[in-house]
Amino acid sequence: MGLSSAANTTTTSEPLKLCIFDLRRGQHEGEELEKILFFFPADLPFPAQLSVVGLSEGLITFTRIFSPEAACEVIEAEMHSHVFFEAEPDIWMVMVVAKNKETEAIWRIEALRSVLKEIHSLFVMFHGSIRMLLDKEPGGGLIRSHLYTFIMDYLSDFLMGNKFLLPNFRDSLKERGTVQMLTVGREAAIEVQSLVGTLDSCMGNALGYSVILFQDLLVSTTLSPDDTVNLFSYGILRLTQRILSSGGSTWSYLRKGNASSHAESALDRLHGLQDGSSVRGDNFQILRPLQHGKWSKGKDGFLVTDIWGVEVGNLVPTTPTIWLQQTEHKMYLCAYQHKSLTIILLIPVTSMLNGEEGISMLKQQLLENASLKIHKVEEKLAKGWGGENAYHVKGYRYLLVDGDSNISRASPSGKVTTLTKESLLALNKVREDFDLERNRTKGDDLEICIRAKNNSWVIARAARGKQLYIVLEKANETLLYASEAVEKFSDRYCNGAFSLD
Amino acid sequence: MLTETGGESSNMKASGVWMNNNNNNNNIEVEGEREVESPSSSGYVGERGSSGSVSSASGTDGIREVRDDGDAVVDDDDDGVNLVGDSQGEWIRGKRHADEDDASTSWRKRKKHFFILSHSGKPIYSRYGDEHKLAGFSATLQAIISFVENGGDRVKLVRAGKHQVIFLVKGPIYLVCISCTEEPYESLRGQLELLYGQMILILTRSVDRCFEKNPKFDMTPLLGGTDAVFSSLIHSFSQNPATFLHAYTCLPLAYATRQAAGAILQDVADTGVVFAILMCKDKKASLHPDDMLLLANFVMTSESFSPICLPRYNPMAFLYAYVHYLDVDTYLILLTASSQAFFHLKECRQVIRIESVLSKSNVLNEVQRSLSEGGLRIDDLPVDPSARSGSLFHLNQRRPSESVVAIGGPAGLLHFIYRSIYLDQYVSSEFASPISTPSQQKRLYRAYQRLYASMHDRGVGPHKTQYRRDENYVLLCWVTQDFELYAAFDPLADKGVAIRICNRVCQWVKDVETEIFLLGASSFSW
Repeated sequence: MGLSSAANTTTTSEPLKLCIFDLRRGQHEGEELEKILFFFPADLPFPAQLSVVGLSEGLITFTRIFSPEAACEVIEAEMHSHVFFEAEPDIWMVMVVAKNKETEAIWRIEALRSVLKEIHSLFVMFHGSIRMLLDKEPGGGLIRSHLYTFIMDYLSDFLMGNKFLLPNFRDSLKERGTVQMLTVGREAAIEVQSLVGTLDSCMGNALGYSVILFQDLLVSTTLSPDDTVNLFSYGILRLTQRILSSGGSTWSYLRKGNASSHAESALDRLHGLQDGSSVRGDNFQILRPLQHGKWSKGKDGFLVTDIWGVEVGNLVPTTPTIWLQQTEHKMYLCAYQHKSLTIILLIPVTSMLNGEEGISMLKQQLLENASLKIHKVEEKLAKGWGGENAYHVKGYRYLLVDGDSNISRASPSGKVTTLTKESLLALNKVREDFDLERNRTKGDDLEICIRAKNNSWVIARAARGKQLYIVLEKANETLLYASEAVEKFSDRYCNGAFSLD
Repeated sequence: MLTETGGESSNMKASGVWMNNNNNNNNIEVEGEREVESPSSSGYVGERGSSGSVSSASGTDGIREVRDDGDAVVDDDDDGVNLVGDSQGEWIRGKRHADEDDASTSWRKRKKHFFILSHSGKPIYSRYGDEHKLAGFSATLQAIISFVENGGDRVKLVRAGKHQVIFLVKGPIYLVCISCTEEPYESLRGQLELLYGQMILILTRSVDRCFEKNPKFDMTPLLGGTDAVFSSLIHSFSQNPATFLHAYTCLPLAYATRQAAGAILQDVADTGVVFAILMCKDKKASLHPDDMLLLANFVMTSESFSPICLPRYNPMAFLYAYVHYLDVDTYLILLTASSQAFFHLKECRQVIRIESVLSKSNVLNEVQRSLSEGGLRIDDLPVDPSARSGSLFHLNQRRPSESVVAIGGPAGLLHFIYRSIYLDQYVSSEFASPISTPSQQKRLYRAYQRLYASMHDRGVGPHKTQYRRDENYVLLCWVTQDFELYAAFDPLADKGVAIRICNRVCQWVKDVETEIFLLGASSFSW
């Protein structure tokens, strides 16, 4: 069961451990290290690394005795939570987080798992599947160096000073792995529609896709929901105007405009990464699509980066490429920005027979045929945009998730911070309870409404593929009052999806 | 139900009559060893059910329902006839599916496993399968626990799909539950605590010393023949709300009757008896509610004198329990610290003639009558708030339970549990027809368990109010300083009306509390 394979020297001091291992590797005694494809912190002694992997593997095997279809998902110990995610068949990601009430290290398992999912789906978007890279180079050096640089770049967004701030109970009114939409008026919607048509025609017969963002919000997409989520996540992590103008990156309100570049250098120092767009680890050329400060806006409005290298001879950066999740097609990524509007075009590599030359022609076409429309749309959206608190609803702190289309909307972060710690902790628990309950019943018609110790109401509703979470701190004490408040919200903001009648 | 007199050694405290028959005790999972030779060994037999609706819905003689989850359920008929025949052998062995081990597909598919093992990985108890054949499996469990322990941590829970593995370490004793019953972690952990308590009740915690002397100590011989006690306890986890409420319940009796019974028990006070308890039917409740539960679960023979340990009272010491059945349903327990007291107590019973006084004073008849009438029925809930009954024992108010098939209360009310915090007691309504089968009742109890766990969250609880709706129920819960109310309604019940009904239930319980609770007795000092 792998339990006896390693000397158990795990120390409890690490606030975060993250590992990826492949159960098909290292089957023989003494070869256990072969299993490990990624481990953070990398400087943890091998016996300690093997101990994490050994326990995980042991419990995967053990739980399959009783639950062959769903192996180990979480281990709760007194001081740590171990969160499991089988990213690909036999390839497991395990995150071990320390619990600590004083440092607010209070977690919701599904929120942590969504971090693992995001790491994996972004990785696959840029590099293809882990198994594919393993097949390409069975020694494992290729995948290890890719995973290492990628995840370290990803984690740097969570680094504050020398501590990782993973999503904790204070982030209970957020849903990773969803997109946030901009609500547009009818007139603007027609303009956007027309722009999408123009973008389509710019790409001609190439069967490409377009994604339009305004600030950090999605305006339009022609991609599948899953691919939209991935591209959206990347967009708000590295491409939007706010990120580019801040010169580094922002991750959330907590970290707005600070720390990141500093954080990265701290990480780089720690792990000896060079400050280059690509590093050569084990003689593999490695792309670092999540590296900070590598995107900038060119004079023509197109976003440029040398992450994907530079064409020999003319110093023109190579156009980035990504993989689509469902079709597994390789696509050129071409981004254009006008003020707060960011347009991402994806064009199949196979349809661009003349490669970079074709891309420049496309860019030219876009500038000629679409820029007017782009300006017009930006103007319309900017006019209608209600600012950071546009989606604030007075008296409510809420999160609305549409599970079918991966869309969520929530109270602005600044407003969520006004909630007391007690309310947020109660919400975190209700969400955990609700996660289990939804999993248990597979049902789509659930409701939990709690009056907490501090008199706040915490409400969770699921109906018709959607979930709604609400915290009411200044509500009347009766259950009926709280229910009515939810009904009102549902009628006004959710098209009555959660209304009982 | 029981009458109880208790106190610290010779400090006798007041008493009353308690009851614990609110359960669906005519639907008992077959697990227990039967003392075939003993005519009144009705320990795990649900005789007449307290609810007529239950009996009428499932009262066929000796039907044994084996569900796909391997939970065998016996629906005893009203005469308390137990199943006989083919399955008898299995009963007597006290363990089901003893031929299985971890290689058997059937074993792996059982919904709820319980294991007790020693810290060296030796199996002590397994709910299913032969302990000896499970040595390898037991060693794996031990390896998981100690692996995490070596890393400076303590494993509590592993989740995999619908399965949960819950670990509890008690010194050299490890307890593990593997379950896909969808009960919350807190409930399952509480069940492991009770299972440990049951073991301590039989052995006291001084077994720890055996492990200190010899880590490879084999405990199984010490627990020989007690499989039935564990099985019965495990069975009660899905049948008896006392297992998660940590409270006990009383048989409804007119106040004067309970007073009389208490006074009778009081008379044994001078004889070195620590506690005197008059119990009825299936056994739940305890001195500390958990102790009473475990003690009641342990009692099974007609007359006995056994060393027992009350884990919440003193986990290191034995008391001696003298058990005497007064009739099929009702038994007396006297607890003493002296191991030589058997004849003395037997005599004390005769001298004071508890038995005859109890029956002369009509207490036993009242007990029997109340048993047949059952507990609170939701269709008796006074609908008009001004019409307070004040008593359950008005003429014509209570009917023999067989004559009534409750169809559910007003506004879709299906069931309720009211727990008095100061009294450590609860009262639970009879089941109405929408939840008449054992599986429906089990499902409701599990829903209550989730509600209870969520209300009493260790980090952020207790919450004040909860409304919960899924495809099966609308559940409402209030936790106040004085009481907790858990109520189940039809899933389509209107929120506003349900709240009004809950208020009426609280009022009703308060109106009749002298008859459904034992007041002024539980002043034990721990």
